[in-house]
Amino acid sequence: MWSVFLTPLYYLVVVPAGVAARLVHDPLHRRWDDRATSYLIQTGALEKGER
Amino acid sequence: MSALVLGISAHYHDSAAALVDGTTVLAAAQEERFSRRRHDPSFPIQAVGYCLREAGVSLDDVTAIAYYEDPRLKFRRIAATYLGTVPHGVTSFRRTLPDWLTGKLRVRHTVARELAALGLGRVPDVVCRRHHESHAASAFFPSPYRSAAVLCVDGVGEWATTTIWRGHDDRLESVAELRFPHSLGLLYSAFTYFCGFKVDSGEYKLMGLAPYGRPRFVQQIRDNLVDVKPDGSFRLNMRYFEFLFGKVMTGAGFERLFGGPRRTPEAPLTEREFDLAASIQIVAEDIYLRLCRTAQRLTGEARLCLAGGVALNCVANGKLIQQEVFDGVWIQPAAGDAGGAVGAALAVAVERGATRGHVHTGRDAMAGALLGPAYDDDEIRAYLDSAGIPYAWHEPDALADAVADRLAEGAVVGWFQGRMEFGPRALGARSILGDPRRDDMQSVMNLKIKYRESFRPFAPAVLEADAQHYFDLKQESPYMLVVAEVSKPQRMAHDTATNRTGLDLLRVRRSTIPAVTHIDMSARVQTVNEDRNPAFHRLLTAFKARTGCSVLVNTSFNVRGEPIVRSPQEAYTCFMRTDMDVLAVGGFLLEKVDQPELREAHDWRDEIPLD
Repeated sequence: MWSVFLTPLYYLVVVPAGVAARLVHDPLHRRWDDRATSYLIQTGALEKGER
Repeated sequence: MSALVLGISAHYHDSAAALVDGTTVLAAAQEERFSRRRHDPSFPIQAVGYCLREAGVSLDDVTAIAYYEDPRLKFRRIAATYLGTVPHGVTSFRRTLPDWLTGKLRVRHTVARELAALGLGRVPDVVCRRHHESHAASAFFPSPYRSAAVLCVDGVGEWATTTIWRGHDDRLESVAELRFPHSLGLLYSAFTYFCGFKVDSGEYKLMGLAPYGRPRFVQQIRDNLVDVKPDGSFRLNMRYFEFLFGKVMTGAGFERLFGGPRRTPEAPLTEREFDLAASIQIVAEDIYLRLCRTAQRLTGEARLCLAGGVALNCVANGKLIQQEVFDGVWIQPAAGDAGGAVGAALAVAVERGATRGHVHTGRDAMAGALLGPAYDDDEIRAYLDSAGIPYAWHEPDALADAVADRLAEGAVVGWFQGRMEFGPRALGARSILGDPRRDDMQSVMNLKIKYRESFRPFAPAVLEADAQHYFDLKQESPYMLVVAEVSKPQRMAHDTATNRTGLDLLRVRRSTIPAVTHIDMSARVQTVNEDRNPAFHRLLTAFKARTGCSVLVNTSFNVRGEPIVRSPQEAYTCFMRTDMDVLAVGGFLLEKVDQPELREAHDWRDEIPLD
């Protein structure tokens, strides 16, 4: 029952939205970055010496 | 009682409930122990009922329900995954979305409804904590440290897969994180899957397999699968992984890289699986240790608290402690998702003003992880008498003496005492015990008692005061989450010139305690003191008095695929279904030779799915 509703939803809404989103940026940040020294995302205050 | 908070983890795997009073954990249990379904993901209704009964309270006495993750944030990650994987995610979309639309997304409502159905009073507010906040709280708040760095590493919760925190007194501050799909837990699980083991339960088998192999795939993994930066942060190469799309972890890319299809579950193990296990263990350890050092650098702290499923990798924990990166390391005994129930409850309790009073004692607040149900001798006697089971009753000291005598004779003993453990390890409350000095003990216990794979090692429990005599262990290990090498005086010269490989390595006697010495001379140690577990300490002391050896083989009281036993009835059934010789349940000692034959309508092994 669900698939009757979800399959069209996927192809008519999710696929176009996903294609459009990926034209702007990858929502999953999959690309390796050789120039980056870290992939860590800072989320809070660091010790003063680390700023 | 001050402010009771009920923590819940559910709807993924290892559902659990925990009840805290301030920062004191009163009770905690996994639902699987009641439902008898391993890693049960369903709402922990029986565990909740137990926690309330244990404290003698109803929901009217509870000030808040703390759920261990934020479903709306998690759903945003799942939606982003769908957008990021179009047009290949339709199968996952159709399979997963109904669950979210019919309950998972409105988890506060779902939890309130489930609890109301218990009929145990008015349901208080349900609040959600983020998955990694629950892990971090479970690692830091019960730890014995006033301040510490906190590292949580797991598969994934909402977005975060790795988080670094700084804990100080009653505060926990987020410092840095890595996000899905870049996950050390999922990387390790991918290899678990590829080697033919079950994801979310077979990871510890892969870890146990690693010493049998040569790490010949390390460079392939580093070149192709994961880009690791000097601080331990990393990204996976998602072209090799399939977990974004649905049920499986790996696909054609993995097969090309590692020379053929994945091992079929239960198929014979080959050199490739040994070598893959050895290789991913090295890569995972390298990332883990780098992240630990980064946590130290970012927080400036001298002590570390760990949680998340990857913190159950006791080999990596052992390396961390051996390298003395920190002055002390404390690992939450229920480091996986079950522990999220404790963490969520503690996070909410602390937010509402609870303080960490236990820190003044220098001890942790997990009560030796003995937080589950207990059965007194009156209850046990009533069961034994009603079932016509022959037994002898002993005072505690006499029981320890009698059991130690039988262990010294080579008997395998089921040991059921006091409150059940919370977390994946049996710590001397629901344990099967044996004499570690015997050459045949490992194979006997694997094949005739546990009915599990012969390669899997057993762990030693040792008197804390004697731990250094047997193991190169730099700190206590009360929760069996640290691997250490067997000390040099206990090692025995053995022929290393022969070309033994794989499982043939098992046939070598390496130490004075061969049943708990893995082929690389390591052991997953549990240190036992009188304070945490007096009954188990008494038994180890009695065994030492007879044999001079203060070590016992300690494995969980279950057979392969079955949750650890909870009740005397389950303990007796497991005792009778296996080749255990003796059962000590409370003060009662049962000899197998005295027992009536167990009659069952079906082969019990058909009823328990393999893990």
